[in-house]
Amino acid sequence: MLKIDKLNAYYGQSHVLKNVTASVERGTVVVMLGPNGHGKSTLLKSICGLVEKVDGRISYDEQDIIGLASDKIVNMGVTYIAENRELFPYMTIRENLKLGAYSKKARANEKKNIEWVASLFPKLMQRHNQLARTMSGGEGKMLAIARGLMSDADLLCIDEPALGLQPSYRIDIFNIVQEISKRGKTVFLVEQNIPQLIEMADKIYIMEEGSISFEGSKDDVLNNEQLKEIFLGL
Amino acid sequence: MFLEIIDVSVSGLINGSIYSLMAVGLTLVYGVTKAFNFAYGSFYIFGGYFAWILLVQLGITGGYFSVFFAAVPVFFLVGYMLEKILISPLRKYDDWEMKVMMLTLGLALFMDFAFQAVFGPRVKSLPGLLEGTIEIGEMVLFQQDIGIFVLSISCMLGFGWVLNNTRTGMAVQAVAQNPMGAQIVGIPKNSIFAATFAISTIMVGLGGILLCQKNLIDPMGGTNIMIKAWVITAFGGMGSIRGSLYAAFILGMLEAFVGWYFGMIHVQIATLTLLLVTLAIRPQGLMGRE
Repeated sequence: MLKIDKLNAYYGQSHVLKNVTASVERGTVVVMLGPNGHGKSTLLKSICGLVEKVDGRISYDEQDIIGLASDKIVNMGVTYIAENRELFPYMTIRENLKLGAYSKKARANEKKNIEWVASLFPKLMQRHNQLARTMSGGEGKMLAIARGLMSDADLLCIDEPALGLQPSYRIDIFNIVQEISKRGKTVFLVEQNIPQLIEMADKIYIMEEGSISFEGSKDDVLNNEQLKEIFLGL
Repeated sequence: MFLEIIDVSVSGLINGSIYSLMAVGLTLVYGVTKAFNFAYGSFYIFGGYFAWILLVQLGITGGYFSVFFAAVPVFFLVGYMLEKILISPLRKYDDWEMKVMMLTLGLALFMDFAFQAVFGPRVKSLPGLLEGTIEIGEMVLFQQDIGIFVLSISCMLGFGWVLNNTRTGMAVQAVAQNPMGAQIVGIPKNSIFAATFAISTIMVGLGGILLCQKNLIDPMGGTNIMIKAWVITAFGGMGSIRGSLYAAFILGMLEAFVGWYFGMIHVQIATLTLLLVTLAIRPQGLMGRE
């Protein structure tokens, strides 16, 4: 579904991603672990057309998407759910969700998706007139995920969904990722060190200093004492 | 005395309604693109000449109704094309906001001198929207003033509706509030920049058609309008539509009362004093976001 080949990304003079090669198969959950500031978020943003200086190859369903504008990529069925939420602060929950379905692809299934989102996030829908800026960090994260689901994407690139959240919200988020996966969606998720996530991963990558340092199954990670200790704290 | 106060208040309301139309367009462009359009006042004059060509030169049937009907698509197209041809290419530079300001400053001067070359240096006048007066007791109101007030408010309500009820309007607000968030949901940022520029051109152009009936069309008059619109947006809070609305009516009233009580020569001093005091206490303006 998604193939990344020798991808390089730059922020100004800084070379952030160095020859990254990875792939995500349809219907799977792929988790990328790694320390903070080593390029995991940049990889997801590069896939979604949110990084300006990139070279290499990214293909989605056999179509080259590197260098395409983000609106074209969203319309093809790829969405980015940001670590820092990136909501519209002076709009209500409902308006944020409505804008989540901005692309042509999403508009066609807006009604069906809002029902799905309402079933996943009943608390959000109860307060649909609340402004996004008045929400807590955990609630905002939920809204960011809900808005991402409204895009009707087939591939969801989720950036550190549990970062900075209370344990109860973390559990909610893992359950929601599982629900998304059950619905046949493909998930490419980035986190720092969340052992619970490993259980639902079909494939795991580890990124260090802008390069992939490990690729394998969850068993490969769990059977490797060094990896378990460094990246999962187990 | 009481009747005079009512009379001055009505004048302030009419000023405020037109200022709001002009200032909201300027603040909209700043709010969305974070770049200041110095050519804004020149589009006001363009609006005046547009009406003059249609009404005086061509004697278009339907009068002002036809002028407004033609103005909306023409100003939209002019604004959209200008943004795509002149401003959009600058966005590839890191300091594009500064480059846009320099370019629009040049555009303003170009337009002002072009107006002078094409239409001559003398001011031109537009026929009134409505003729005659209405008497309410001892108070006399010009029908033209009432017409301008009603049309300005209608335009504002129309733009408010577009911003809050159409996909493009929502997208404009989304880009203003969070450009990265807008990109994430698939809003084509560059098209929205162009659409915003086009909408603001319509607003100031319509403002020109309405106010040039009272103030005449001066080819070099864009600078004064630009200053006026800037004072209102800075006072209200750069990028805040609601702030610009309040500021337009506060300044409209202030102008009317200072002009009546102290004389017109004190109007600009009073306006700029209010602006400086506001910015010293609250640098982001009345309703600007820090």
